[in-house]
Amino acid sequence: MLKKSLYLIISILLATVLVVLQTTLSNLMWLSSVDMPVTIGLTLNTFFGDLIGMNSAGAIPLVGLVAVGMLLAYLVAKILLIWINTKKSYAYGLAGAAAILAIVLLMPLAFYNLDLIAGARTALGKTILILCGFLSGYYFGSRLEGKE
Amino acid sequence: MKNLKLYLFFIFSSICFNLASEDFEYEVIAEELSSPWAIAMIDDNNILFTELSGQLRRIKDGVLVQESVSGVPEVLFAGQGGLSGIILDPNFKENNRLFIAFSSPDEGQATNTLEVISAILDQNSLINVNTIFKASPSRRTAAHYGARMAFLDDGTLLITSGDGFNYREDAQNLDNHFGKVIRLNIDGSIPSDNPFINQEGALPEIYSFGHRNPQGIVVANGFIYENEHGPMGGDELNIVEAAKNYGWPAITYGKDYSGAMISPFTEKDGMEQPIKYWVPSIAPSGMTFYDKDLFSGWKGSILISALVPGDVRRLVMNNSEFIEEETLFSDLGRIRDIVTSPNGSLVLATDGPNGKLIRVQPKQ
Repeated sequence: MLKKSLYLIISILLATVLVVLQTTLSNLMWLSSVDMPVTIGLTLNTFFGDLIGMNSAGAIPLVGLVAVGMLLAYLVAKILLIWINTKKSYAYGLAGAAAILAIVLLMPLAFYNLDLIAGARTALGKTILILCGFLSGYYFGSRLEGKE
Repeated sequence: MKNLKLYLFFIFSSICFNLASEDFEYEVIAEELSSPWAIAMIDDNNILFTELSGQLRRIKDGVLVQESVSGVPEVLFAGQGGLSGIILDPNFKENNRLFIAFSSPDEGQATNTLEVISAILDQNSLINVNTIFKASPSRRTAAHYGARMAFLDDGTLLITSGDGFNYREDAQNLDNHFGKVIRLNIDGSIPSDNPFINQEGALPEIYSFGHRNPQGIVVANGFIYENEHGPMGGDELNIVEAAKNYGWPAITYGKDYSGAMISPFTEKDGMEQPIKYWVPSIAPSGMTFYDKDLFSGWKGSILISALVPGDVRRLVMNNSEFIEEETLFSDLGRIRDIVTSPNGSLVLATDGPNGKLIRVQPKQ
């Protein structure tokens, strides 16, 4: 139980870090494209700044949002796994993807179509974020498989 | 002795400053208004103002006309969208022409855009309504329209156009109207001396670019003063000049609402610095340049209405140089617009579904 909880927390943190990383990199790539002097050092500084900022200074702490989404999605996956015979890594991977999909689709509905996560403003950005959710869920599912 | 003189000077200045700051009173002109957004003074007792929910209202001889002005186009009233900016033609007394900016829904689609119309006020109706500007492309969001206007001394009209929130990077591209100041003739045609008129790939209406959500613009003393909302922090007062790039979102003093950085940069060659910026945000809305004698201590100041926490910022200016800031009227809540009446009193619009028009005048 303790290990499962640890995997769950790592999975949520992994998703959070990946969402931040996507936001930072997509933003810095655009800045670089308009000839702003983006360096590796600046990229690292910005990433760590975003990691702190998006989890403490924003309108909604990202880690909380991700945690709520993933907990609900994992719960649904756990119930579905009673009837559906598939690998847990895939099931939780899809659950993680669904959690991020819900976040990036539902948040704009609450805010006049505004994408508050800047990295989610394009279709490509949304896709990458959903993939981040899948990877986090896949990690969680594969750790559960390994434990069995 | 020199220090004593300096000390006395500061005490004297402080007394004068305080007298100037406190020697006023409020008079409620109209109340229970539906999100009043912009005010246009016909004269001291005749006022037109917009309500974001779509009504053009009128104060006639000092009394609110209950029936709203008819003939106003359909608006998208959602988010920050609705019936927004209003400005009278400089020759309004002769031609009754006015201009209104609003968020306009695209028929049969989930998109909308900033639109500006010209119209003639005939009694309590708008007639001869013509669209003179529609921002391109349309947006899916209902935020960041800009939608304020000002006339240049040559009779051309400046229109602020916001970045649409989701389209912030487009403020740096000249092939669209997001995050721009637009300059037009009053019939909607493009002035032949617009700065990008001969630049391939640039929209010819553009006057300046790199803006976020400009909600105040005033022409005075030969300068175009413009204020704009930053994100979390980074609200700006700029002096707009033709063809200049004001940097958004490549440079900014603000952060994103998610807490992420929008840009780690605050300056770059070729991008203009604000003459004043605010961190944290004050959410600047309307703006007026005070050039009257009624409040003599405020003459030559820029007055900016602010939504957060809700007050008016008086900026003492030396032409293009910011000198100091004073906070006024902080007991009225969010203030959406401020204008100077011909007699020198100020008229404020408080924000929200129970908004008011309030006149500020010297204490009797």
